[in-house]
Amino acid sequence: MSVALTLWRRSLNEVLRVRGALVPATVAPVIFMLGITGQFGRLTGLEGFPTDSYLSWVVPLSCLQGAGFAGAATGSNLARDIEQGWFDRLLVAPVPRPLLVAGPILGAVTRSLVPATVVLLVGFAIGAELTGGVAGLIALYVASAAFCAIAALWGIFMAVTFRTQQAGPLMQQGVFLAVFLSTAYTPEVLLRGWLADVAHLNPVTHVLELARQATVAGIEPSFANTYPGVLALVGLATALGLLAVTGLNRMGR
Amino acid sequence: MREGRVVVALGRRALSVQFRRAQLLMPTFVLPLVLLAVIASGTSAGQGLRGFPDVESFLAFVVPGTIVQGTLLAGLTAGIAMASDIEFGFFDRLLAAPVQRTSLVLGRLAGTLSLSVLQTAFFIVVAALFGARFPGGVAGVLGTIALATVNAVAMGGVSTAMAIRTGSLSLLQSVFPFMFVFLFTAPAFFPQELLTPVLQDVSVFNPLTYVVEGVRGMLGGDSSLGSPLAGFAAAFGMAAASVALSTFALSRRLRRL
Repeated sequence: MSVALTLWRRSLNEVLRVRGALVPATVAPVIFMLGITGQFGRLTGLEGFPTDSYLSWVVPLSCLQGAGFAGAATGSNLARDIEQGWFDRLLVAPVPRPLLVAGPILGAVTRSLVPATVVLLVGFAIGAELTGGVAGLIALYVASAAFCAIAALWGIFMAVTFRTQQAGPLMQQGVFLAVFLSTAYTPEVLLRGWLADVAHLNPVTHVLELARQATVAGIEPSFANTYPGVLALVGLATALGLLAVTGLNRMGR
Repeated sequence: MREGRVVVALGRRALSVQFRRAQLLMPTFVLPLVLLAVIASGTSAGQGLRGFPDVESFLAFVVPGTIVQGTLLAGLTAGIAMASDIEFGFFDRLLAAPVQRTSLVLGRLAGTLSLSVLQTAFFIVVAALFGARFPGGVAGVLGTIALATVNAVAMGGVSTAMAIRTGSLSLLQSVFPFMFVFLFTAPAFFPQELLTPVLQDVSVFNPLTYVVEGVRGMLGGDSSLGSPLAGFAAAFGMAAASVALSTFALSRRLRRL
């Protein structure tokens, strides 16, 4: 366990040592939030949209996105450690391999609190509503932190598969796709064609619903709005965790 | 003449390096298409909003946004590859060669240009297969490919300048989301009149606005959707500026050596 904590500290040290390391993961979701709101803000005028504030609809999406990018960065950092030989040295240490990535995942979850909070603060400052109160906020933070861990597992899986930093865009864009093949822009009733089916099957739709309890008037904090998201998070973590650990165990053998 | 051969050789190398690890090209080719599909399905209800132009297909209306997004990613790929060459020492070997420094930058951008031609043609074909109709015809498609490649070179120039300036692969990889600022502050997926008022004001100053609308005008065969001339002017302006920026970054890097 102390190995995981040490590596957790190492990954946080990186944030302190590398100037501006947190900036992209923090600024990007804010940019997306403002950009998407600017592009599609008029969609709330359509019948079936649960809120008249598109910003409130998008804030949870941007929180998840920021957390997801922070998580995916774990994969880029691991790929760098693999390329530069540092990870080879860790692999010969007499510790279970999952512990070698548990620290960086914890580090990512800790870091992800920054973009999620900045997005929320910017969102509230420019007019998003906190309709779900404290319970909604807790749901939003739980969804963000857990989604960050899942994105980190995805990034680790990519890193141990390709073992090159050039796989970085693949890690980030995997998160990007998972988030956008959901009810990212509009609620399910306004989706058309294949996306309606995919969003219905995509577990991230439920995670978004969990997060939207904080800011969307039509999605109040309740058990019915919470448990599908929690189940989705557990399922994703299990599947990607297995893939990441299998890849890790194959390294150097 | 000899410099031309250097540019072609480096361009060919840039392209072959990209395609050797084709799985890493997936995001460049597939992500914009997925986003196109998501936006076309997810926001097509917006076509019913008052003020939306009278277009035959919503899919064809948002394709220009996808094409421009592709040019952003193709440009970013150039920067990532350049940073990789710098970090792993290949670029130092190039610097020792008796060739003009500008050719090293232009060679990398020649690869971006070729990638963008393939990418834009691919997006248009896939969109057509899924039902998008382009009244601009063959001339509109060819004009679009030309405009997209100039824009990709412009974006490649920006990211190459960053790569040369910083030499950091991880920094270039984190630039990906920032490229979207340009996309989202242009009427990439929705008409300019239906953007929020603040974004409408900002979009006027974003050169990509004119590129997106130029593509829309050419594919739609309707100059009321956008002026191709303004699009080409914006793209050429950005390309000239960004190539100059890259060359300047290179000469500064050489002074530091």
